[in-house]
This record gives sequence, structure tokens and C-alpha cells, in this order.
Amino acid sequence: MSLLGTLLRGFKNRPLLTWFSAALILSLFFLFLANKGNPKVYIQKLRNGHYRLMVQQRPYLVKGVCYSPIPIGKNHEYDWWSDPSKPWLVDGELMQKMGINTIRLYQAHENAQAVRTVIRDLYQRYGIRTILGHWLGFWEYPCPLYADKSFQERIKKEILEMVSLYKDEPGLLLWILGNENNYTCMGQLNPWPSEEVDKEADPAKQRMLRAKIYYSFVNDIARDIHRIDKNHPVALGNGELVGLDIASTVCPDIDLVACIIYRGKTFGNIFKYLKATFDKPILLSEFGADAYDAYLQKEDQNMQAFFLESQWRHIYENTANNKKGAGNCIGGTMFEWNDEWWKHNESDPSTWDIHDTGSNWSNGSYYFDIQVKDNKNMNEEWFGLVALSQDLENGLNKRSPRKAYYVVREFWKNSTAGAKKQ
Amino acid sequence: MKKLLVFLLAIVLLIPLYSYAQEAAPATANKSFVVYTEKRAPENHYIPSGWMGDVGDIKMNDQAMDNPHSGTTCIQFTYSAKKTQGLGWAGAYWQNPANNWGTKKGGFDLTGMTKLTFWARGAKGGEVIQKFNVGGIKGTYPDTAVVELGPIELTDSWKEYTINLVGKDLSYISGGFGWVATSDSNPQGATFFLDDIKFEADPNMKPLGKQTQKMPFYVYADRGSMSNHFIASGWMGDYGDVKFDGSNSENPYLGDTCIKFTYTAKGAQGARWAGIYWQNPANNWATVDAGFDLSKATKLTFWARGAKGGERIEEFKMGGIMGEFSDSDSAGIGPVILNKDWTQYAIDLSGKDLSYVIGGFCWASNADVNPEGAIFYLDEIKYE
Repeated sequence: MSLLGTLLRGFKNRPLLTWFSAALILSLFFLFLANKGNPKVYIQKLRNGHYRLMVQQRPYLVKGVCYSPIPIGKNHEYDWWSDPSKPWLVDGELMQKMGINTIRLYQAHENAQAVRTVIRDLYQRYGIRTILGHWLGFWEYPCPLYADKSFQERIKKEILEMVSLYKDEPGLLLWILGNENNYTCMGQLNPWPSEEVDKEADPAKQRMLRAKIYYSFVNDIARDIHRIDKNHPVALGNGELVGLDIASTVCPDIDLVACIIYRGKTFGNIFKYLKATFDKPILLSEFGADAYDAYLQKEDQNMQAFFLESQWRHIYENTANNKKGAGNCIGGTMFEWNDEWWKHNESDPSTWDIHDTGSNWSNGSYYFDIQVKDNKNMNEEWFGLVALSQDLENGLNKRSPRKAYYVVREFWKNSTAGAKKQ
Repeated sequence: MKKLLVFLLAIVLLIPLYSYAQEAAPATANKSFVVYTEKRAPENHYIPSGWMGDVGDIKMNDQAMDNPHSGTTCIQFTYSAKKTQGLGWAGAYWQNPANNWGTKKGGFDLTGMTKLTFWARGAKGGEVIQKFNVGGIKGTYPDTAVVELGPIELTDSWKEYTINLVGKDLSYISGGFGWVATSDSNPQGATFFLDDIKFEADPNMKPLGKQTQKMPFYVYADRGSMSNHFIASGWMGDYGDVKFDGSNSENPYLGDTCIKFTYTAKGAQGARWAGIYWQNPANNWATVDAGFDLSKATKLTFWARGAKGGERIEEFKMGGIMGEFSDSDSAGIGPVILNKDWTQYAIDLSGKDLSYVIGGFCWASNADVNPEGAIFYLDEIKYE
């Protein structure tokens, strides 16, 4: 007997129950039709103008961490992806217990199989998804040549290869293009030449022209990524909100912005200002606090925990459906999972196995230790949610979660973002 | 004998308890707590010993009998504005104990007090006191609060002023009261009188909310103008390379004076850049809860010119001071290459959160773009 026949017969004998069943079937059918065309991960704009990230049809708040498990004594060139001790397994378990659901990798290693293994292990064992980024040649010597077509083509090719390699990984969340490369347009970091721009006498116009070139280039890449991967959003990595007013005019293919923000207790007005200038959702792709009091010259886990909890509170206030904020934040990835002992004096390998307490930069927003000499209070080697010890456990530096690990864990447990607890 | 022993034991036990009670009891067991009422009055708790700035410019008569507000004496200050120490400002703190700049334990627990009131008058009227304040002494034993009132233009008859202390942590205050005046605001000096300075526990005092300021709101209008709301106190980078003249009268855009900066680009502190913030209050690097609510502003405008033309300022900005009490936002323009003639510039503030501004204005430049240094002028800096 056909399904239709069964239904009709049912109508006759048990009208109420059968009508209910039919309605349920039809609802499921329409739901299936509605969702059939949706990508696995996408940005949803709500009627109230708020944004949320959707993963497999469910809202997803990024509760993430920047991940770079460099062991003591090594620097950023160390190939941890091929480390036989597999640090991501130990870390993944700890992350899962904390409530982390996402890691951010700044750039994938050239060993594709190793990268796949990391993404799969984290996702399959711990349910942790991966954000993959690309530096866009930011560190290239002497500078990233964003006005040079051959440079652009080479970088774009690298990125599209990366996308092709990992787009089908179930654990992949989204792509981030660049980090704080926008500062190269402002003359602050790695400035690059351009015949067209250099003709302009007005330095303010020069900045604008450079920003247009750079953001147009990033948009080209985003457009091409969407052609080959319809399942993952593309984020524009950016230092603060600098230049996003220009990006708004040339970046229609960007799905969200991923900003690096170090502003202490909160993120200030960035959510509202972004809404006013470049109405895209925002991921706080790098933020946090160090755990060393440069003034008192001692570790201060309370200080780090205080800032991180306060920052997460501000993130939650600005997620979708929260009336307190702008409704455009989709979460964040804290900087960072573990301390990195090479960072303070990266050119001197003899310091890589010393937990350096020096600082190279100042930030008044982290005010507890700003009274230190020259105000240099940001201790680059002390940003980890977990501290490393020289003692080895299963071939890895022993991990010791700091207070912030527990404080943020409890905050996540006890807080709701937007309308629903996630 | 037994009775005597019990009595002695009770005395031995009670004396420390009594002492402890004396020490721990906040000063607010009373409804008021006097800073000064009368020369040698037993209820005076602080001493006007903390002279600051151009101390050679200050004369004090703490038993002036010229028309006191009450009793037989008041305090007379004469500020000559001669810049004896070359600073252009002077002031005095009432301290406890005398001369305590936070180096020793003293002060009082004034928890429960909600305001400080005092009476003041000028000898002529029109004398400008940059600020009156409670607390703010730093050092090893810092005050737990600093609250300021000002600038205030005095009248020639007695007038009562109130500093609102609701919600402030007054658990340790060694600098009970103070005043600061500047030579810019009082080029001919100032003679003024103070009387009946006291803390009060007034249950009707309400917390002082930040009022949204009316526009235009000046950062700098003219030398000594009461409209000036911020002070060019936040010197950054090679501060030794910068000379500041806040009353330059060579060719102001408007009024009597403008500001002249001379930046030598010599790298005095090795930074190779320099800049200055206009702050409220002076030297507030977001450590003090102060500033203004400028939410009604849509732009910040100012006039600028270079001595030769071609001087390059990397950035003009407002806000952006970060700390415990950070500016709520920031905005800026630049780089700007100055013209020889006065030119008006505007910083767009649309979309900005201006509810809390302590860094009213700022400029920064560097030696790379001004290898020979730069001389430039600013005037009429205001929020509109």
C-alpha cells in the first residue's frame, strides 16, 4: 500500500492522531528541504540584525584558544605536527574538560597528512573544531609585496591549495586570512612599496590607497575560496578595527572579521563601532592577558584570570539576541593555550629554555603592573592558560592549568550567550 | 586580695580592647569631621603643610582676621604666579600628619562621610582655582580616593562649595583637602580666603552621575580660559624634545593666545617620537575615575599651522588612554602635513562611544618624518 493510501485510510479511522502524524511528516519534509541547501558552517543574520555562526544547523559560539604547542627549548620553527608525543592529544583532553570547542591555527604546516591528523584527532576524540589561517606572506623578507601581482598570485595559490586540502575535513570550522596585516598599510609594520601609492604626496591618502589594494586582494582570495568551498565562512584577519572602513567598500565576499584586540578588561566600543562601519560578525581571534606581574616581578594568575573572565563577559554581552550588546560577536579564541618560552628573545636560542620575565611592549589597559620601569608590562612568554614545566610527562613538557583555566571554565558553565546556553 | 587581682586583670584586658576600639573606630562616628575651622581649634584634623609646585609663589596667613566666614579667623592664601620654581602652578594640601606625602601611616578613616564643604572668596573676585580636591596623596601609604572639583572662579563674597564623596572609598585619607592654581589662569596672581572646611555625613547626598556635556566643549580656547577642560599633561616618548607654550600670542587664530609646540627631534629619551595628551585631570593615565561624557559631540575640530609649513604630525586623536578607567573610545586623523596658514581640521566622531573621555586631545609625531624637528601651533580645540 502506498504511503498516501495509508494516510488516507488513517484519516478515516483516527482523524486526530493521523492529522498530527501527517503534519509532523510534512514539517520534517519542509525542514529537510530548507536545510538541504545550507552549508555545514555559515553565518546567519537574524531579523534583529544580529549575527550567529551556525554549525550543522545549530548556533555555535566559538569558545576557542590559539594553539601553538612549542616545547621548552624550541622556537616557532619546531615541527610539533610531527612530534611523536602528539601534544594535541594531551592538550585536546584538557581543552575538552575546560569546555573549549575550537582551536585557532595561524597557518597549516606543509605536511598535509600531519595537519589532517591533528584536525581529525581533535575533532573525533574531543569534538574540538579547527580554524585554519594563513599569514598572507606577512613575515616575508623584506616585506609582503601586496601591490605586486606575482606576489598576489603566489599567495592566492598557496591559500587555495590549503583550502582544497582541508575543506572536506569534518573538524574544520572556518578560514582566517591574515592576522594584523592591515598595519602594513599604515606604515606601522613591514611597509611595502607601490608605484601608484608612492606618487601620492598626502600620507593619509597613501594609507587609504594601500588599504584599498590590500583589502581588495584579500577579497579576491575570499571570492575564490567560496568558489571551491561553499561550506566554510571566510574571515578577514585584522589588527583592531584599523582600516575596516576601507574594507567595507571593497570586501563584499568576506563573511566575518577576525580581530586581534588587547584592551584589558573589555573590548571597548568595537562591537558597536564595527556595526556602524562594516556590518559583519566579529570573532575575537586573539585576545587575553599574561600571568606575570612585571612590576612585582612574580607570577600573578589572579590578574590573568580577572582579565579573561571580564573579556568573556563582554563577548557574551555582544552575542546574538543579547539586548545588552551589538549582537555581532560569534565568540573568540584566547591567546593562548600554553606558554611559549622562546618568544621574548627569539633571536637567541640560548634563552629558549628560560622562562623569560622580560617584556618588549607596554599596554596600559593591563593596569595592574603598568608601573613597571618604562611601563613594559606585557610578558610575552606568560600568556598560556596552561604553564609548561621542564619536567616531562609522556615525552611532553608537563602542563599545569593556571587559575584562568578554571575561572573561564566556570564562567562558560554558568553563563548563557544570547538566548540559549551553548 | 582576690578582688584586687580580678580588678587588675580586668584593667589589663580592657586597656588594649579600649585602644583597639579607639584605633578601629571610623572617624564617621560623628556627623562631621573638621579639616579647619579656626586657628588652633582643637577639632582641626589636618595641617596645611603640603605646598606644591611653585612653592615660592605662595604665602599663607592661617589667622587672617579680614572678614572671616565664621569665628575670628580664616586662612588667606596669596599666590603671586611669579613661577618661582618655573612650573606655572602651585597648590597646598592639608595633611595628616604634617608633611606626610604618603611616607608614613597617618590619615583617617572617613567612611560614611558623603561630602566635603568649604567656604571660599577671592580678594577681588575672578580668581581661578584650577581644582579643589580631597585625597590623592600617593606613596607607600596612598589615599584610597581622589575627588576633584574645578576649575572654579571665585566671587568677592563668601560662597559655599561642596565636593561630592558619595560612593568613594574614604577608608584612608591623609590628604584631607587641597587646592591648585595656575599662572595661566591667574597671570596677575590671586589672593583668596578659605574657611570652615569639613567633611559631613549627609544622608541626602546622591551619587554624582556623569552629566552629558553641552556642545561646544573646549579642550583649549585661550590661555587661562575657564572653558579649558583638559590639561596638556600627558607627555610621551621623547618628552625632553618638546617645549610647550600655552600662551603664545604671536599669531593666534582666535582670542589672545594659542599653543606653540617646539619639537626638536633630538631623541632626548631615545624614543625617536614624542606626543602630548590633554588629560582630565592632569596626568590621568586612566588611573583616576574622572573625565567627561561628551556623547553629544559629532566631531572634534581644531586649528593648526606650521611655522614653515610641511611639518608632519603622524596623528591627532582623542581618547584611547587605556587603564583601569579607560577612555570609552578613540578616533583620530593623520598623518597631517601642516600648512603655513591656519587650517581647520576635524576628527569625525560618528559611531564613537564618547560617554567617558579622559584623553581630550592628543598629537604624536616622530623624528623620522621631522628630522629637523618641527614648530607648530594649535588653537580652538573643541568638541562640537
